[in-house]
Amino acid sequence: MTDDRFDDLLRDSAREYNDPPETPREELWQRIVAAREAEKAASKESTEDADGERSRILPFRRLGHVRPLTWAAGIAAVLALGIGLGRMSVKQPASVAISVPVPSSSTPAPRATGVAYQVATTEHLSQSEAFLTLFRTSVRGKEGNERLASATARQLLATNRLLLDSPAAADARTRLLLQDLELVLAEIAQLSPQPKSRDLQLITEGLEQGGVLSRLRTAVPAGTSATQGAL
Amino acid sequence: MEERELISRVLAGDPSAERALYDAHVDRVFRLAYRMAGDMDRAQDYTQETFIRAFSRLQTFRGDAALSTWLGSIAISVTLNGLRKVRRRNEREVGLDDFTPAGHTRPEAEPDLKTRLNQAIDDLPDGYRAVFVMHDVEGYTHEEIGASLGVHPGTSKAQLFRARARLREALADFAKD
Repeated sequence: MTDDRFDDLLRDSAREYNDPPETPREELWQRIVAAREAEKAASKESTEDADGERSRILPFRRLGHVRPLTWAAGIAAVLALGIGLGRMSVKQPASVAISVPVPSSSTPAPRATGVAYQVATTEHLSQSEAFLTLFRTSVRGKEGNERLASATARQLLATNRLLLDSPAAADARTRLLLQDLELVLAEIAQLSPQPKSRDLQLITEGLEQGGVLSRLRTAVPAGTSATQGAL
Repeated sequence: MEERELISRVLAGDPSAERALYDAHVDRVFRLAYRMAGDMDRAQDYTQETFIRAFSRLQTFRGDAALSTWLGSIAISVTLNGLRKVRRRNEREVGLDDFTPAGHTRPEAEPDLKTRLNQAIDDLPDGYRAVFVMHDVEGYTHEEIGASLGVHPGTSKAQLFRARARLREALADFAKD
C-alpha cells in the first residue's frame, strides 16, 4: 500500500478515535457558573483576610491533600533554580536565596509546610519578575540573548507548572497570576534563536497589556524581609 | 452578533453574552478535550477549566487570531497539563512499568486496524498526538494548530508528518496488505 493510501486509511479510521458523545451543554454551563461564583467568593474572602502580618505574604488555602515528599523535592528545585538565577544575572544579595532552608523533614507540620509554599511561590514570582524585567529591557535595547532567555523561561515554566499543580495555586489570585505568567513564559520559551522583532514586540505588548509585571511586583514583597519574616 | 461585539458585551458583564459565547464554542472545545482525554469526566473538567480561564482573561484577547483559535490554545494547554498531571499521579501510584496513559484502553478483542490504531495514537508523545488529533481527526488547519500550540505552522506540519510515520511504523503489517 502506498504512503498516501495508507494516510487516507489512517484519517478515515482515526475519525473514530475517542469519538466524543454529545456535549453536555447545560451540565457544563452549570458547573462553570458555580465554579466562577466560588472563585469570586474565595477571592473576596482572601482580600478581606489580607490584613496585618498576612498582608505581606501571599494567602494560601488549607493544605488538605499534600504529598510532602514530592512537594519538598519541588520546593528544593525552586530554591536551587533561585540560587542559580541569582548568581547568573540578578544584582541581588546572595543571601536572599541561600538563607532559605530546604525543608528536611518528610512530614512537616502543617504551618511549616504552608510557610514553605509561601516562600517557594514568593521566590518564584520574584525570579520571574527579575527575569521579565531584564527580558523587556534587553528587547528594548535590542541586545538580548534569546537562546539564554528561552532556556531560562523554560526553567521558570517548569517551576511555574509545579506551583500551579500545588496547593500554592489554591488561592484564586495566585493561581490567576501563575496562569498568566505561564502564557508569557511559554511564549519566551518558544522563541527561536533569531526571533522576528514582531514576535518580541508581541511578547512585550502581552506583558504590558496583561499587567503581568505590575501584578508580579505587587505580589512580591519589597526587599528580602518577606522571605525572612515568613521564616 | 459579531464576535467583537459579543466580546465587548462579555467584558461589560452581560451574562447573556457569556452564555452566547459559551454556546458558540463549547462543542469544539469539548470535542478536542474528549478526543485527547478519552474520558467523560476529564473532558468535562478540561472544558470547564478552559471557559473559566477564558472568561477571566478575555480582556487580554488581542483579536490577532479568531476567538476560536484563542480558545483552542487555552483548551489544548489545559488538556495537556491535565493529562500530564494524571500521568504523574499514575506514575506515583502504580510505578512506570504498570503505567497506562490517560485516555488509554487496552483492547480485549482481537486487534483489528481500528483497535491497533487507537492503541498507536494513545502511544504517541503528547505533542504529536495533539497535532494528529487536531489535524487529522478534528480538521484544524496547520495555522490554527500552530497558533494553539504556540509553534510555527511548519512545526505543526513536521510533527504531523512524524506522527503519521510513527503510526505507519506501528501498523506496518496492515500497511503491507
